[in-house]
Amino acid sequence: MVTAQTFVGLLPEILAFLFSMSVLMIGVFSPRSTGLVAGLAAFGALATFVTTVVLLLTRFEGEFFGGAYVVDDFALYFKLIVAVSAFFAVLAAARWSGRTGDAPEYLTLILSVAVGAMLLVSMRDLFGVFVAIELATIPSYALVAFDRSRRESSEGGMKYLLTGVLASSVLLYGIVLIYGAAGSADLAEIAGSFTGRLTPVALLGLVLLISGFAFKLSAVPFHFWTPDAYQGAPTSAAAFLSVAPKAATFAILLRILLEGMPAAAPTWTAVMAFLAILTMFVGNLFALRQRNVRRMLAYSSVAHSGYILAAFAALQGAGVERAVQAVLIYMAAYLVMNLGAFFVIDLVGEEAKTYNGLFKTRPGVALCMVVFMAALVGIPPFSGFFGKLWVIIAGVEAGSAVTYVVVGTVVLNSVLSVPYYFGIIRNMFFEEPATDAAEPKGVGAVKFSVYTLAIATTVFILFVGPLAALARISGLG
Amino acid sequence: MITTLTIFLPLAGAILMLLLPRVTDERTVRYWALGAAAVPFLLVVYVYFAHRGSLDARSLTQSFDWIPSLGIGYRVGLDGLGFGMFFLTALLTLIAVVASWDIRENLRQYFAILFIAEVGMLGVFAAQDLVLFYVFFEITLIPMYLMVGVWGDENRRPAAVKFFIYTFLGSTVMLAGFLALGILSGPNFSIAALDGGGNLSRAAQIGIAAPILFGLLVKVPAVPLHSWLLDVYVSSPTSTNVVLSGILPKLGTYGLIKIAVPLLPQGVEPFLPLVAALGAVNILYGSFVAFVQPDLKALVAYSSIGTLGFILLGISSGNAVGLNGAVMQQVTHGLYSALLFILVGIIAARAGTRRISELGGLAARMPWAGGLLVLGALAAMGVPGLAVFVSEFMSIMGGYTAFPVQGVLAAVGILTGAMYLLYMLRRTVFGPIPHDRPELAKATDAGPIEMAAIVPLALLLVVLGVFPGLLIGVQQPAVETVLAAIGGS
Repeated sequence: MVTAQTFVGLLPEILAFLFSMSVLMIGVFSPRSTGLVAGLAAFGALATFVTTVVLLLTRFEGEFFGGAYVVDDFALYFKLIVAVSAFFAVLAAARWSGRTGDAPEYLTLILSVAVGAMLLVSMRDLFGVFVAIELATIPSYALVAFDRSRRESSEGGMKYLLTGVLASSVLLYGIVLIYGAAGSADLAEIAGSFTGRLTPVALLGLVLLISGFAFKLSAVPFHFWTPDAYQGAPTSAAAFLSVAPKAATFAILLRILLEGMPAAAPTWTAVMAFLAILTMFVGNLFALRQRNVRRMLAYSSVAHSGYILAAFAALQGAGVERAVQAVLIYMAAYLVMNLGAFFVIDLVGEEAKTYNGLFKTRPGVALCMVVFMAALVGIPPFSGFFGKLWVIIAGVEAGSAVTYVVVGTVVLNSVLSVPYYFGIIRNMFFEEPATDAAEPKGVGAVKFSVYTLAIATTVFILFVGPLAALARISGLG
Repeated sequence: MITTLTIFLPLAGAILMLLLPRVTDERTVRYWALGAAAVPFLLVVYVYFAHRGSLDARSLTQSFDWIPSLGIGYRVGLDGLGFGMFFLTALLTLIAVVASWDIRENLRQYFAILFIAEVGMLGVFAAQDLVLFYVFFEITLIPMYLMVGVWGDENRRPAAVKFFIYTFLGSTVMLAGFLALGILSGPNFSIAALDGGGNLSRAAQIGIAAPILFGLLVKVPAVPLHSWLLDVYVSSPTSTNVVLSGILPKLGTYGLIKIAVPLLPQGVEPFLPLVAALGAVNILYGSFVAFVQPDLKALVAYSSIGTLGFILLGISSGNAVGLNGAVMQQVTHGLYSALLFILVGIIAARAGTRRISELGGLAARMPWAGGLLVLGALAAMGVPGLAVFVSEFMSIMGGYTAFPVQGVLAAVGILTGAMYLLYMLRRTVFGPIPHDRPELAKATDAGPIEMAAIVPLALLLVVLGVFPGLLIGVQQPAVETVLAAIGGS
């Protein structure tokens, strides 16, 4: 039954949706008013954020549509992450999309992805999950292919679309098999019917489900679309797609596994450990070879998916609670550092050599980039360190031989990632500046985002206590 | 509160440096930097005179929850183990600012980065929580990387990268050990609460101690793990050398004394003979390699690496004499190696070369610089009357009691040390001025700014040599606590 409560619970999504539609309508009737639509979109993201904060502060909880849609602290936490990244993506996109003259469409697409991602984290029904994933993914195909002035953009969009559709069908196949085996798509009922050993059908369903998610999370060996899509996409879109939909997908995977298949945990933690190790190594080793910063960050985002999957491997024994917190904290840390690193590309350029001598010509931007790179390596006091801290602690607490190996791999990979992140720092500080190092004009909003995110990445250390408390109450189960 | 203030004041200094207008002339920048470095130093001096008998005073310690669910807290406080280095960090940063005459470009940024490194270094010596210790430990990493890489000489880039990879590998492995220790005992990361190893089994302690020791020994560096160091020392500017040789190695040795030994007494125990042996190897290897160095700076660098061995020997001894010697050697080593590195910088700037074979007769043209070089070299040899003698002697005595073979080898190291240092002095300070070096014949003595950088160091070497009780009195109670932790297990 739809009550007023339902509307309150859906208010963040409703707001984001209304704003995205208004942005689109204004674009239809007044295509020239870039500033207005950008402001409206940013305000929409902000309103969504504030609403979510209020829901979180009032400890709003509820189940709607017969239990298929749930609003709890866990879901709200990830909605916050989506809303914040949408806000920064809109800010950073305003100038670029205004220049191409397609601001309304572009910003509408970003908000639509956000709506899909926010709905996704609340789903408790596998078919709802599928619908929400598609809701978030379909606009993102368009986002990747949006830059018509660059061939890579169409190429990346095409590759993303083809692999994405394949992944969706694999995912749907998995969902259907699980539905068939359990007789229900509701997570609680699935958990009730999967108590003993998994039947072959259920096991196949689980494997296909995880494979479908692995595509969306760019986990190795399902990551091939990632570098092309991120290289082709407009920078703000690449930044946004590497954080918001990914955070939501991790969240819902966590919910499905913990609420829907707790009995099968030994099986899926083993699969996750395998995926995590593979993803970390492949992401980092390929990133080492890149000379294009965008591609490098794409592989880096693959590697970071691996670090988060390492937390999934620790979802066993005494490590469950901490592992859930690890995913929550890692996503918050990753949000600020990764968005910032991508936005710097907009300010400087995507070829590694454009960073030469940046410290001499634009010390402020160079210092921000140092912060992001150090954070991505996981060096304290920056945010990324705390993500890894929780992942390692969860692994140690889980206490099985496998998780110790995974923890060792996390440590090893952090060192392995130093050369490519610090290659950028090396270029910025140790090389002589290129001749045409002038700052592009009209990048105020991007610069504001970069500085804000750099500060957030740095002062993360002061707020990690409250964040940990929030992650604690937002845990599942 | 005073401790926290002292740690974070340099951060304000760094921000101040970055906020100074771009057009500020060099002189003004230097004065501001001097002021920013002087304030923490004066605070530490105040702490010494007001609280040297009661470093655990409430006004010096601070403790509150940071991440309660993990038992991680912001816990800082001073004790005798760290106070000497806390003082030395503030002093050497001040001296590094004075000795920054060879930094010409991007001066404001240089000072800002130096001050950020100071935050990390001060923090390490005051941290009373494992995770906080690690955070401060790593804060020094990027600043040092940039100081070497941006302002060093032509070989700086590979040196800086090598430095970074080695020490980051070491510290990451160390972190894994810290986390295992903290989680298996609680989770609780308070150093005070973990004292004595708690209820961990011997096997668990050994398993945890191994990565921690590895990480700390890379940082020191103990000899087989030292290959990153020489290039870094030789290609850094003088001012960076002061911090790099005076303080950074002590992050490793201090970690051994403060964390590895008292927190994991049973886990460290099987490794102690090895640590003592590494100490002896450091001493002997350092002096033999220094003997054949054609470059004065490389000689000083190897000498500096070598005498770190006394600290390792003293730590491994596990008795009061040896530990006191080790804690004190951390400070005296910093004093003398900073002095020698600055003097090398002064001499090289005038002679236009650092090759020992092209130098000579410095005493004639530069009596002060030459004389202080003699003093620094005598200190490095461990001549009685100078501070290094006291600490080296105590380390050897303590080490000999515990491990006779390693102790004797270390004593032999004093002899070989004297050989290469005297040989170096004969070729540089004394003898005729080489004819093919007209710069040397015209060289002027150290100027007032240069004297301001070296005289305090020389004075402290003499004062602490005559009155070692000034330092040992402060560190004694803390050393006894460590002994209790070892004995009580």
